[in-house]
Amino acid sequence: MVDWHLLGLSFVAVFLSELGDKSQVAAIALGGSSRFPKAVFLGTAAALLLASFLGVWLGEGTAQLLPAAWVKGIAAAGFGIMGIRLLWPQAEEATESEVES
Amino acid sequence: MKFAAAVIPTTVLSSDSTTHPAQNPTATTRETALEAEAPTSEVVQEPTSLQQKSGENTNAGFWRVFFSTFGTIFLAEIGDKTQVTTLLMSAESHSPWTVFAGAGSALIATSLLGVLLGQWLSKRIKPATLDRAAGVTLLVIMGWLVWDIGGF
Repeated sequence: MVDWHLLGLSFVAVFLSELGDKSQVAAIALGGSSRFPKAVFLGTAAALLLASFLGVWLGEGTAQLLPAAWVKGIAAAGFGIMGIRLLWPQAEEATESEVES
Repeated sequence: MKFAAAVIPTTVLSSDSTTHPAQNPTATTRETALEAEAPTSEVVQEPTSLQQKSGENTNAGFWRVFFSTFGTIFLAEIGDKTQVTTLLMSAESHSPWTVFAGAGSALIATSLLGVLLGQWLSKRIKPATLDRAAGVTLLVIMGWLVWDIGGF
């Protein structure tokens, strides 16, 4: 017995709240620039699934187990590193087609 | 859990579009090859042929991209509004697994849409321009997260 109303409601609620949110923006940025868009999709989907699984499973306990400010700080550093990595090699990348190893 | 376990492995095995190493001699030496050119639409039919053609480096690159994406997105999402929504709904209803199935499929859909949009853009924008835009976007997300922390 599946409660289709509840299933649909949770789908629509989460879908709308995620549209244009930072994880989707990150998926656009990484998916377009990475050599492995499939890895970006699987990584994003798995991360979101695990995060919401923990939300259902741990409920209120998540905030105590993982302090949000720390966790977000580490994530911010991760995005910063990935962003700088994309911006850094501009000069050598412009001539990439000519360069042979 | 059954839901997540059923979705992910089949997607891994179904098909794999990667840039052929021959077109991209420098890419194998790079860590994440984020600066590589836009992927071709070449489809590798069997999962084993990926290893035979591209060797260890492509495989390692795939998993490096997977884990760096997974790690940052997971940490960014923990305690965020998706989770709040999920939490509220599972608290109100007595069937948290139905809520999880709905939320989970929505999250898969939004990440698929995001990556597909990125792919669509990568076919229309020069790789160098796209990388610059993507780099700036990621730095904006970093600012977004720092702003979130400040709001606590």
